[in-house]
Amino acid sequence: MSDTTTSANRLARYQTSAHIAGVVAAVLGIVSVLLPWSYAHEPLDDVAYYGAPSPLQYNYLGLMVIVLVMFGAPLALRRKGKFRDRIAWNTGARFGGYAMLATALVAVAGIGIEAGGLVNVDPGGWIAVAAGVLATAAGLVLLPSAAPRTGTFRTPAWGQILAIAVGLAAVLFAAAYALGLTDSGAFLFYLTFALGLALTLVRVGLFGWLAQCAADNKKVLVFAAFLVAFLFPFTQNGSDANMSIATQVLFFSATALGLNIVVGMVGLLDLGYIAFLGAGAFTSASLSGSLFAHINWHPPFIVTVLISGVVSSLLGLLIGTPTLRVSGDYLAIVTLAFGEIFRITMNNLDGSDGPNITNGSNGINNVPELGLFGFNFGDPHVMLGVTIGRFANYFWLMLIVLALIMVVFVNLNRSRIGRGWVAIREDELAAEAMGVNTFGLKLLAFAGGAFLAGVAGSVKAHYDVSVTPDQYVFLESAFLLAAVVLGGMGTVMGVLVGATVLKLLPEKLRFFSDYRLMLFGLLLVFMMRFRPEGIIADERRQLEFHAEDEELAEEVEGELIAYHDHYNPDAAKTEELR
Amino acid sequence: MDLFWQQLINGLSLGALYALIAVGYTVVYGIVQLINFAHGEIFMVGAFGAFATWVVMGSPKQMSWQAAVFGLLPAMIVGGMIVSVSVALLTERLAYRPLRDAPRLAPLITAIGISVFLQEVVRLFFGTIPGMPDAKRAIPFPTVTGISGRSFQIGTVTVQNSAVFTIAALAVCTVFLWFFVNRTKTGRAMVATSQDPDTARLMGINVDRVIMSAFAVGAALAAIAGVAHGMRYGNIDFRMGFLAGLKAFTAAVLGGIGNINGAVVGGLVLGVVESMATTFIPGQFGSPAWKDVWAFVLLILVLVFRPQGLLGAKVVDRA
Repeated sequence: MSDTTTSANRLARYQTSAHIAGVVAAVLGIVSVLLPWSYAHEPLDDVAYYGAPSPLQYNYLGLMVIVLVMFGAPLALRRKGKFRDRIAWNTGARFGGYAMLATALVAVAGIGIEAGGLVNVDPGGWIAVAAGVLATAAGLVLLPSAAPRTGTFRTPAWGQILAIAVGLAAVLFAAAYALGLTDSGAFLFYLTFALGLALTLVRVGLFGWLAQCAADNKKVLVFAAFLVAFLFPFTQNGSDANMSIATQVLFFSATALGLNIVVGMVGLLDLGYIAFLGAGAFTSASLSGSLFAHINWHPPFIVTVLISGVVSSLLGLLIGTPTLRVSGDYLAIVTLAFGEIFRITMNNLDGSDGPNITNGSNGINNVPELGLFGFNFGDPHVMLGVTIGRFANYFWLMLIVLALIMVVFVNLNRSRIGRGWVAIREDELAAEAMGVNTFGLKLLAFAGGAFLAGVAGSVKAHYDVSVTPDQYVFLESAFLLAAVVLGGMGTVMGVLVGATVLKLLPEKLRFFSDYRLMLFGLLLVFMMRFRPEGIIADERRQLEFHAEDEELAEEVEGELIAYHDHYNPDAAKTEELR
Repeated sequence: MDLFWQQLINGLSLGALYALIAVGYTVVYGIVQLINFAHGEIFMVGAFGAFATWVVMGSPKQMSWQAAVFGLLPAMIVGGMIVSVSVALLTERLAYRPLRDAPRLAPLITAIGISVFLQEVVRLFFGTIPGMPDAKRAIPFPTVTGISGRSFQIGTVTVQNSAVFTIAALAVCTVFLWFFVNRTKTGRAMVATSQDPDTARLMGINVDRVIMSAFAVGAALAAIAGVAHGMRYGNIDFRMGFLAGLKAFTAAVLGGIGNINGAVVGGLVLGVVESMATTFIPGQFGSPAWKDVWAFVLLILVLVFRPQGLLGAKVVDRA
């Protein structure tokens, strides 16, 4: 303990120098942008000019300005005050330094790889790296600030709403911009930049303030978020490539949200969830009027959706009734087996091994475009001067489906049923003893999740045009599970983030497509090892995962007390020194 | 009736293969209540290890059956075991052990991750080891003279030599397991740990070591199964562990998970049911394409009517 105190003491002397060094680093970074980073023009979408930064470099410039503020603010704000004390400037500065270094290294590595050798890196690139190193070193010298208390700032309502609007607009712009990047190196650079920036802003406490704004204006936020998502097709200028990715992300998110009810809220590991999506898709395709379908009844889509959902949930009941009575481990394997049964069955219903319903491995092709209230989803149309194509139509439809699923999810979470689910997840025996109908609730979750998957599947059949058994293999279930686990079990935001990351990254980083699955396996292992609660953690869930770690909890607590006891007098001294 | 005997033999040899893998699930589950989902991949890795051993030995092709059965085959089995046991111990140490006190969902998800990871590592990197063929497609398994592709007749029933090998291997392993569990110190420590880990620890049993030996025993038997699989089907590929692992787990549940004898019985029953189903179920649903479906339907039926399995699970259900 005394070691850390003395080192903190020693570091306390260099705080001002570190702040100045950080400012110098940020200025160096700004200078580097004015110099060419690369000799060749191909890497990172051309960063080879004097005095004319590329769009990517402008992003980097923005990071520099933020880092400059982080390091500079404590110098400028000498007097005690809410701006100095409630914002975690030092922690933010430290992470800003990391972000600078990481982006610069990615840039240099990207240039080195794409242009074939580090010779191609021009002085600008090296200066950026040097600036990153300096900023990181300066950040490491800084004593970490106390946790930010930015949530306590009082902001007028219009300010809060403005903040939400600006925040969401930034997200929309960033997403549209990232999707527009075709170069893998540039995308990776942008990703590092965005992550670093986000992390810096989280650390400095900006997100705490935004969260407070959001909490005060929940309805505005939700409405604005959907508005932003709704506006997304207009940023794409009729480009189909990105809209198709975005639509796939929505399909994936919707399905993952359904799975999240089963896995995240009730704690039932369903490894055959994709089969329910498949059941919905096959049902919908069979009733769609495709020439390859073998059912001669074509109800309107509204009816088809319901039938698909019901078929899927009946399958869920069929599997759930026997297995939900026994231990949860069995459920995992039985659902896995069910997924295989489904796939093999769809493969076999081809006329030679069984009645011809699905054409076997050929599946049902030429599923017609979706028609709803006389509107054909395949037709492009022009709106506000932007061509809205087929993919954008499906995008909007899926956005509505996603919104519905989210409404269901959030309301269930707050209801008696949701509390029962969480109780089952935490301790099934105790829940049962408290009078929770565990079997009934588990079955409800299972069948309900299946229903949602069936609904998503019925739209997907039209979107994909053809439905084949190969689309619904175990690996897809594993991907869905990974989205839930990665983002955060039991939260809506987490799953949206997880689904976006898992769908978007492989599309944009083609060069590692061969290693995709291997990294995906590793990711699952590491997530479970180091952050089992996911990127965006449900609070209850986080406690659950770390509750058993009492030793660590006590250790951390003890450290904190000792740290405060020793640190506070020192902190007072530091104030005097200034 | 001849058809019945023929399918019984086929079923028993298939079942013996399942049983060898199922033991791995059941031993680990009996002690740590973990479904080692990656066990199917341990089996696959064992088969690749045996293949690699054959390559290291200079890819011998022509030899007398004595040399093949008493030289090549044991060498391949040992090589496969070394690889599979090392991989199993590594996964235990690096991935499962840190999660021992975590909620039950965590190790299951880890197991899925390991399973995908191992498949992909073999697919991507097996071919980069000098001398090894590319593993992105199925690799022909070395011929063991006297066993691979040979058969003999008993009356009208044809018996593959590889089937005899698999059944004999299962018999030997069962006897070995019985001896190991009942007569050795480690084995009895395993029994004690599966009954009550905390008390076992108080009695001076090194629980970590017991868990590692459970993983090792399972992996060793899986390697034998890998060799048997190679000789039976003539080739191996990186995907072979998925379905085999799923079937073996079904076998373990069928016999009563946690119960070693149960795994053996369950494997044999599952194999026989599978091969009988393809013969005696009339009409289109009796075609071989449905055999996996029948095996999994059996799993679901067992869970409905006898969740403790045929011989009864030896662990208390703590979920």
